[in-house]
Amino acid sequence: MKTLSCLNVGKVWASANGLAVTALRDIDLSVQQGEFVAIIGPSGCGKSTLLELIAGLEPVSSGRITLDGKPVTGPEPGVVMVFQEHSLFPWLTVQDNVGFGLAMKGVARGERQARVARLLARVRLTRFAQHRPHQLSGGMKQRVAIARALVENADFIMMDEPFAALDFQTRVLMQQFLLEVWSEFKPTIVFVTHHIDEAVLLADRVVVMSASPGRIIDDVVIDLPRPRRMTDAGFNDYRARLTGLLEGEVMRAYRQEEEADAA
Amino acid sequence: MDRTGALDGATPAATPPRRPAHALALAGAALLKGLAPWVLLVGIWEWAAAVGWSGATLFPPPSEFLRYAVESDFRIGFGNEAMTIPVAIVASALRVLAGLAIGFVAAIATGILISMSRTVSDMVLPLVRGLAPIAPIAWIPLGIVLFGIGNKTAIFVVFMGVYFILTISTVAAVHAVDQRLIKTARSYGASNTQLWTRVIFPSVLPQVFTMLRINFFAAWMAVLAAEMVGLKNGLGMMIILGREMFNTRLILLGMCMVGITGYLVDVLLVQIQRRILWWQP
Repeated sequence: MKTLSCLNVGKVWASANGLAVTALRDIDLSVQQGEFVAIIGPSGCGKSTLLELIAGLEPVSSGRITLDGKPVTGPEPGVVMVFQEHSLFPWLTVQDNVGFGLAMKGVARGERQARVARLLARVRLTRFAQHRPHQLSGGMKQRVAIARALVENADFIMMDEPFAALDFQTRVLMQQFLLEVWSEFKPTIVFVTHHIDEAVLLADRVVVMSASPGRIIDDVVIDLPRPRRMTDAGFNDYRARLTGLLEGEVMRAYRQEEEADAA
Repeated sequence: MDRTGALDGATPAATPPRRPAHALALAGAALLKGLAPWVLLVGIWEWAAAVGWSGATLFPPPSEFLRYAVESDFRIGFGNEAMTIPVAIVASALRVLAGLAIGFVAAIATGILISMSRTVSDMVLPLVRGLAPIAPIAWIPLGIVLFGIGNKTAIFVVFMGVYFILTISTVAAVHAVDQRLIKTARSYGASNTQLWTRVIFPSVLPQVFTMLRINFFAAWMAVLAAEMVGLKNGLGMMIILGREMFNTRLILLGMCMVGITGYLVDVLLVQIQRRILWWQP
C-alpha cells in the first residue's frame, strides 16, 4: 500500500518585479493507493502548482512531500502528469506518444512496442496507433494522453484539468472512460478541476482549496454509491456544500484582487 | 465496459490520411486560376509586339527571347566561357540550396547552444543581432576577398544572409516551446539531453524552416548579384552578359529563368516542409 503525503508544504514564487509570491501555504494532504481525489478551488489558488510539486517538476519551498515515506526530489517514475489538450507531441504518432516515457527510460524497442500495443488494445485505440495528434478530436487526444500515463504502470496519475478544453458531450464520455480506466487499472488519481459536478461525480474525496495563497480548507468524502449520476439522491447535497465553500473563496479572491488593484 | 461502446461511436473518426478524388479537381482549378494572369500578361505583350509597339526592341516578347534560346542551342557566352542554360540554372540553384542547407543546420545548432545557457545567450545574442540586419548582398565584396571568385563565395553569401537571422529565430522558438510539452516530457522521465533532442529540437524546426523560406528570396537575389559581379556562370551572369552585349533578348531570357527557377526552388522548399515537418497542419 503506497501512500503519498504532503506535510506542511509551501511554495513561494519569485515574481517578475522581484517580490516573493506565496502560492501555497501549509498544505497537509494524504492520498492512499487506489484513491480518486479531486482538488477544487478558485482560479489561481495553486491547484496546478500543487500537482507539479507532487510530480517532482518543481521543488517545494517548505515542508515535504513523501512517496512511501521517501521524499520526492525530482520527477518520480511512479508519478506521471496528464495536462489539458495540447500535451501530445505533435510530431509523434499515437503509438510513439504512448511509448514516449518507455523510450525515455531506455525500454528496448521490441518490448516497448509490445507493451504499447497491448495497452492500446485495452483502451480501444488500436486502430488509431499510426494516427498523428492533429488528426484526432479533442476527446481522442485525451484518451491517448491517459493511455500514455497507464502504459507506465505508474501508481499515481496527476491530472491537471484534463477535460477543461472539451465540449459537454465529450466531457461526459471522457469522465466515463476515466472511471472505467480507474476501475480496471486501479491507479491513484489526483484530479484538479474547476467543475464541482465533475469532482462529485468522479472522486472518493474532494479537497477544497482557498483563494491565493492556497490552503486546504476542507476535505469532503463523497459517500455515494458508484456508478453515480448527477440526478442521484444526495448528489445535490454535496454540490450545495461544495458550492457554498467555493463561493466564499471566490468572493474573497475577488476582493483581494480589487484591493491589490487599488493599492 | 459496455458503455465505452457508445464512446467509440461518438468519438469523431480521425480524418482519413488519403486525398479524396475531388481534391485533384480542386488542385487543377487552382492551377488554372494561377496560370490565367500569366497567359493574359504574355498575351498583351505578344499582341503589342505584333501590332508594332516601339518598345518591343527593348522588351522583346517571350516568343522572341525563347526562340533566341532555341536558336542559340541553349548556349550563351563565347568560346570557352560559354555555358548552356540548364547548366546556368543548376549552378545558381545548387549554390543557393547549399548555402541555405548549411545555414539552416548551423543556425539551429547555434540557436540551441545559445539557449542552453543564460550567460552565453546574454553574451552572444547582441552580436548576432548586430550582424543579422546586414543584407546578404553586402557580404559579396568580403566573400570575394576571402574566397575569390567561385562557388565558395556564393555559398558564403547565402550562408551569411540566413545564418544570423535563423539563429535569432531559433532562440525565439526555443523560448516559445509549449511548457506543457516540456513538463510532460520531464514527468515521463526525459533527461536534460533528451529534453533538448526529443522535445525542443523538433518543436523549433517548423518555425525556423518558415523563416528559412521567407529568407530564401533574399538569399536567391544575393546569389544572382554575386554572379553578376564576378562568378563565371549562373543565371546572374547570363543577365549581365546580355547587358554587356546590348542583347535585350538575353536579359529577358535570364530574368524569365530567374523567376521560374526561384519559384520552383520555393515549391521544393514547401514540399520539404510538408514531408519532413508533416505534423504542422
